[in-house]
Amino acid sequence: MSEQWTLLAEVADISPDTGTLRAVLDGEAVCVYKVDDRICATQDRCPHGNASLAEGYIENGTIECPLHQGVFDIASGAPLCPPVTTPIKVYAVKVEDGHIYVRTGQA
Amino acid sequence: MNCLETSAMPQAAEAPAAVRRRWPEQGYTRIPNWVYTDPDIYRKEMALFFAGPTWNYVGLECEVPEAGSYKRNWIGDKPVIMVRNEAGEINVLENRCAHRGAQICWQNTGTVKDFTCPYHQWNYSLNGNLQGLPFRRGAMGKGGMPRDFDPKQHGIRRLRSVNRGGSIWATFSEDAPSFEDYCGPEVLAEIDHMLPGKKLKLLGYSRQLIPSNWKMYLENLKDPYHATLLHTFYITFGLWRADSKSECIPTGGGAHSVMISHNEGKKVTEATSEMARFRGDLRIQDLETVTPRAEFNRGRVGGAWIFPAAQFGIQANSLKTRHVIPRGPAAHELVFTYYGYEDDDEEMTRLRLKHANLLGPAGFVSMDDSEMLKQVQTGVTGYPEGLGVVEMGGRDTRPADYMVSEVLIRAFYEFYREAMEL
Repeated sequence: MSEQWTLLAEVADISPDTGTLRAVLDGEAVCVYKVDDRICATQDRCPHGNASLAEGYIENGTIECPLHQGVFDIASGAPLCPPVTTPIKVYAVKVEDGHIYVRTGQA
Repeated sequence: MNCLETSAMPQAAEAPAAVRRRWPEQGYTRIPNWVYTDPDIYRKEMALFFAGPTWNYVGLECEVPEAGSYKRNWIGDKPVIMVRNEAGEINVLENRCAHRGAQICWQNTGTVKDFTCPYHQWNYSLNGNLQGLPFRRGAMGKGGMPRDFDPKQHGIRRLRSVNRGGSIWATFSEDAPSFEDYCGPEVLAEIDHMLPGKKLKLLGYSRQLIPSNWKMYLENLKDPYHATLLHTFYITFGLWRADSKSECIPTGGGAHSVMISHNEGKKVTEATSEMARFRGDLRIQDLETVTPRAEFNRGRVGGAWIFPAAQFGIQANSLKTRHVIPRGPAAHELVFTYYGYEDDDEEMTRLRLKHANLLGPAGFVSMDDSEMLKQVQTGVTGYPEGLGVVEMGGRDTRPADYMVSEVLIRAFYEFYREAMEL
């Protein structure tokens, strides 16, 4: 049994201003984050108002949605304050030579 | 340059319109036609009554069964929302965004997780707290709200509200007395009679826009004199009669009233022979339409008007609330909410619905009223200096133990003149 990883994006494409990048994986929007020097990825769509989290604000390992300021923990996907109440999907990530891969299943 | 300094903005809010009118010297046995037409009178009523220290009917608890269920309504001309929150409590909120004032809720009923104003998507919890707003931190690092913008200061207002037996009431005033004191014992007893604490079941609505001043509907429900004359259906098929045992009780200084009669069936007497339209030979094919099944009220028909704009009552087996929503000096909306009890059997639910055919815009009885009130509005609008005469049953405002009386209207105008300083 081996893990399956899929190339998602390039570290160089992450915006230096926001620390985020919106990418698409099998038709699903994924938000890639550069938190300090770590790369993370979650679902991009905020489950509250359907906004793109890639347009939000990173602060202390959390992402704040630009629409209504719902906040999620980037590492765990946990909702941290109203109006968000449901967790978001978190992807396992690995980086090789500036390429960002996410785990998409077990082969 | 500061635009404000050069603009012609008024320095302060305008004072409420002064009403320059003189009540006729005969007092409350006369009603001047301008009370139904004058826009200044209307504005004063909205401020003094609906926005003032009154308790206003908003809806029934059974209309908002689960968290996030809401019902839109109006208190006078102010839009409000009744909504059940996650804790199961019912809130009455102003239906206007704290940002630019838009109605945030546009549908009459529905279920939501929270409220989002469609204009700029400001988002509010079911308790009215501002949860977030788009671009609070600007876009591309520019703009956004000032750093000290405090969402806690920009929620939507939650009104004082109470739940009495499953009916929800709200007030805009912190000075309003308790709901119980506001109603008084007689009106409260009527509400408790109709809503004895059993779980209620929503059966439906009817709504209509009536082209007359809202007070004409209030008077119509305080006027048993017309009931046996205008409503031929009532007398022809024995639902209500001028010689029925009945009572007219003004309460709350004349603002509220209780009206009771007893269903005694069809018979020809001196009272019915007075009625030009009584037709003893008419038979109704489907007698069930007018035949209530015996239940808790034991043939006692009646109801309470709770000032300013609600009436609770029973007609045959039809239980309903009536709610009047003023729409300017010359129009009002009338909403009937039909309900039953959760422990009603299927047969009783069917009868409650069937007897609702008496009421509403096409009701066998109620349609006479909306048609008539339009004619009254047309008449008084043409002659604003004219006077109505309400002397049937005397010139006093004491409770009457008979039906053919205008005492409730006189008592109302005794209250009204003092409140309006007219």
